[in-house]
Amino acid sequence: MADIAAVQRIAAPEVAEGIAPRGYWRTVAGRVRRDRLTVTAGAILLAIVLLAIFAPWAATHDPLQGDILHRLEPVGTPGHLLGTDETGRDIWSRLVYGGRLSLFCGLSPVLLATIIGGVLGLLAGMGGRLLNSLIMRICDVFYAFPSVLLAIAICGVIGAGIANTILSLTVVFIPPLVRVTESLTRQVRSRDFVEAARASAAPLHAIIRHQILPNVLGGMLVYATSLVGISIILSAGLSFLGLGVTPPAAEWGLMLNALRQAIFVEPTVAALPGVAIVITSLCFNLLSDGLRSAMDVKLPS
Amino acid sequence: MTRTTLPRIIAAALLLSFAASVPAFAQTLRIAMTAADIPTTSGIPNNGGEGYRFLGFPAFDGLVNWDFTHPNEIAGLTPGLATAWKIDPSDHTRWIFTLRQGVKFTDGTPVTADAIIWNLQRLYDEKSPQFDPAGSAIVRSFVNMLDHWQKVDDRTVAIYTKYPFSFFPYMVPNILIVSPTEWQKSGRSWTEFARHPAGTGPFQISKVVLGQFAELTRNANYWDKTRIPKLAKMIVIPMPEATTRLAALRSGEVDWIEVPPPDAIPSLKAAGFQISLWPYPHVWPYMFKMTDGSPFKDERVRQALNYAIDRDAIVKFLNGTAKPAYGLYPPGNPYFGTPELRYGYDPAKAKALLKEAGYGPDHPVEAKIMISTAGSGQMLPEPMNEIIQQEVKPIGFDLHFDVVEWGTMLVAKRNGPDSPAGHGDDALNNSLGFADPASMFRYFSKASWSPNGINWGHFYDPKVDALLTQAQDSFDPTQQTKLLAEAHGRIVDDAPWLFVVHDLNPRALSPKVKGFVPAQSWYQDFTHVTVE
Amino acid sequence: MARFLAARLLHTVLILFGVSVVAFGLIHMIPGNPLDILLPPEAPKSLVDHLRAEFGFDRPLYVQYLAWLGRVFRGNLGTSIFTGREVTRELLRALGNTLVIAVPAAVLAFGLGTTLGTVAAFNYGKPLDKLISVLVILGLSVPHYWLGIVLVIVFAVEWNVLPAAGMGGSGGLPTSWHDLSFLVLPVATLSMIPIGVIGRMVRSTVLEILGNDFPTALRAKGLRSRHVVFHVLKNAAPPTVAVMGLQLGYLLGGSILVETVFNWPGSGQLMDLAIFRRDVPVLQGTVLVLAAFFVLINLVVDIVQALIDPRMRR
Repeated sequence: MADIAAVQRIAAPEVAEGIAPRGYWRTVAGRVRRDRLTVTAGAILLAIVLLAIFAPWAATHDPLQGDILHRLEPVGTPGHLLGTDETGRDIWSRLVYGGRLSLFCGLSPVLLATIIGGVLGLLAGMGGRLLNSLIMRICDVFYAFPSVLLAIAICGVIGAGIANTILSLTVVFIPPLVRVTESLTRQVRSRDFVEAARASAAPLHAIIRHQILPNVLGGMLVYATSLVGISIILSAGLSFLGLGVTPPAAEWGLMLNALRQAIFVEPTVAALPGVAIVITSLCFNLLSDGLRSAMDVKLPS
Repeated sequence: MTRTTLPRIIAAALLLSFAASVPAFAQTLRIAMTAADIPTTSGIPNNGGEGYRFLGFPAFDGLVNWDFTHPNEIAGLTPGLATAWKIDPSDHTRWIFTLRQGVKFTDGTPVTADAIIWNLQRLYDEKSPQFDPAGSAIVRSFVNMLDHWQKVDDRTVAIYTKYPFSFFPYMVPNILIVSPTEWQKSGRSWTEFARHPAGTGPFQISKVVLGQFAELTRNANYWDKTRIPKLAKMIVIPMPEATTRLAALRSGEVDWIEVPPPDAIPSLKAAGFQISLWPYPHVWPYMFKMTDGSPFKDERVRQALNYAIDRDAIVKFLNGTAKPAYGLYPPGNPYFGTPELRYGYDPAKAKALLKEAGYGPDHPVEAKIMISTAGSGQMLPEPMNEIIQQEVKPIGFDLHFDVVEWGTMLVAKRNGPDSPAGHGDDALNNSLGFADPASMFRYFSKASWSPNGINWGHFYDPKVDALLTQAQDSFDPTQQTKLLAEAHGRIVDDAPWLFVVHDLNPRALSPKVKGFVPAQSWYQDFTHVTVE
Repeated sequence: MARFLAARLLHTVLILFGVSVVAFGLIHMIPGNPLDILLPPEAPKSLVDHLRAEFGFDRPLYVQYLAWLGRVFRGNLGTSIFTGREVTRELLRALGNTLVIAVPAAVLAFGLGTTLGTVAAFNYGKPLDKLISVLVILGLSVPHYWLGIVLVIVFAVEWNVLPAAGMGGSGGLPTSWHDLSFLVLPVATLSMIPIGVIGRMVRSTVLEILGNDFPTALRAKGLRSRHVVFHVLKNAAPPTVAVMGLQLGYLLGGSILVETVFNWPGSGQLMDLAIFRRDVPVLQGTVLVLAAFFVLINLVVDIVQALIDPRMRR
């Protein structure tokens, strides 16, 4: 798991010193807009997300119903622009519908882990010594497992399925998010304006909402986006091992796994789900990188 | 992918030193198995049929062996370390085996009646020092009717069964005989013994590199002079991934792969590889649950599903590596019998049966099927089931899948259909064999209801039960065949399973491999194979 | 330093204890009976129950845990249900095989990642920086199991210059060119992600040092002087070492997918097998040892960092 933490060192920015949130965000937005790579990545991602959302309109065929007589048709076949899969289903339609499940399986563990890990991290950061030790030491234990090992072990134990994939990846991502949030919270907590608020006897929840959260959220989000790419690759990897999403669902990892048998017959078709994973994961990584540099005030701009 | 010459030359030049040293031994056959690990080499292999195929029968003999010399019928029995066997006419639980004289283990010690008894103790006597729990579990789960034994004289051993069981000789090949002396020399440890085991087979296991390969060497002193291997060596390598096996065959690292992906077969043929296809006692069914709450409790629903699938389309999908199944046994087998129903693809009949049972297109049969992601004999479970699902949907079956990994399915099968392990599923897609005539008793008799046997769905037909019991009490082969055929005919009509296909056991062989004649068996004879 | 060491050691022991509880507890959440997989389908339930008692699976969970922990302390991880072999021996063999690809992959990733990251940082904002950054991120975004298959098709099947799978002849350390040729594709595949991680990390660390220690005016005079490069690399070393340690953990645990593609008999494959066979002693032992290995790497990394940089000794 601490292998994920390696990403954290890069992705999690330090809290900017005493910057008023509103102006800061405007600067960030401006920087992002000037970064062509990040904008492109964001645009491609938007297209992928829209295709997934509007899959019933974008798809040309039923993603689950195939024609056994027209299996493994090559790319460019009339009627099946991207070919057909091992039971004769249209690849384009399955890719489009597959985006739903793949994005869902990639995004939801990160989202869940951000919420759960964020709350735990805030508690650890704001709480007393005992609470902090309790939360952080438990995290340390889970941190001791390499992430892939932990995800595979959990899925291997509780069995395959969408819910189990999401559950296992959430467990994998919680500890690093707790760490990031805790360390950001402690940095913010020691700042003058928080000290001032505490001195004026503002209630704790108000301090968290007005002083801590706005300053912590940015860092958390940047770190979280950096995990989405990993999450998509890992969930597809679980399907690859037969531990993830189960057929006949359309999901990129599962498609990759099923088409692997045909990689010598129709290599291009068999490679397509892999390409979809690469593009999506690449765009998330580029976006996260762009956000990070835009938010890092120390970098020469 | 096109073969461009330039990058090929560049890459070849860069890596010349690597490529030049890839070895190609003469008269060595390298086989990629589907097993994920080397089956145990202590004489009783694990990993099911494949274990016995590569590290069982090539290296060891039973008192009785499988006969691979008649490829046009299901493999029968042939004398092994016993030259003859017969039932005691006065006691139908006592089998008398006459031992072959002058046979030696590969460590040079003779095969004696005492050695045979010692081997039986290894598997059946928990108090003997050589008791082997793992081997015992494998053999006993199959040969569970063996009761006790007796050394009659130096050339004769008697084995008793718990009840009269006429198919007992078919069980005996599972009990492979190893050298007691070698076990003593191995510090009385089966794990140690497995590093350099000694048996009497045509090959000798000469090297075991854990996780990588096992090497078998020709036993030039094999007692059956017609089966002294032509190969000097046979190397078996575990390779669970089909694509990995394919790549290894195409790049020349192995000469023979088990179960190539069906889709790759045309391109393999085009590239000059040999494809071996031959029937063997295998069936790929759904085992229906027949307890309360399952739609398959109704015989008409079971029959309807049997009429609703297009077996030929599935065979086509499998590129001809299977043939349609209309029963446990294939038509033409003496045990197939004369069932009244022949399950061709007949959507009209299927719909009529469903209508009779109270279902229809607006009120489809909802059923959940447990399928596995992979597993021994499971072929390509996911796409095959997806095809079935697509085929039967318009007819009025809404099939849902509970996809589990292989281990979970084995657990489900061993427990009752209504136990938590069954996940509440209505059918179980698990491939099975019928190598011996007792198979029907194991799958369809009331005595074999799970968890006591593998009649998982609790099928019961009193007539079938009576016929099967009579058959195993009978010691007259003609009578046995008549009874079993009658039982099978009724079973087909009762449709306790969805009969889908029989696998044709595809293998892909390099053009260099010659002389392989497949037997209709889960096991094969490698002694006549050569590599040019 | 002594206090720091003592605190770190105590912490490590506590973590290891937690790891053992998690490893044990996790595996015992597996539904069903671990022995079911050992026996052929035909085995009657009575025999299964008999063996269950023999392996001790019928005892209360905490008794099983304590018994297991006691054996672990004596270096005995039990015997495999499936093969009857000692888990310790099996695991050492598999771990050795994994290191045969993990160590070269780590070295490659360290060398290539550091070089790419440094070059990119010194060319900040220029096309070369953009190119390296995209390449490095691409490495992070490719599912390596898929990349492995593609490499096999190209190098083993189409061009037939490298072997597709396995370890070659002898097992253990490669002793010939022939053995080494089996390493090329798995090492290349496995190193892809660490190259990306280290490349990104080094780039941002170097940028940070450049930004902090060399004001714009100074940088204008000549960023590429030997003095600057030396200063930067010296300061970038501690975090790079730390990330490297963490990546070694990834290489050990994460090689499972790569080992599957290349049929490499390492610890990942051992674990994959153990999951599908429900081989509880092997699974427990593998998870425990891999995690413990990782914890110890982290301890070493912490100590090394503390030696390089006294500020770390908090």
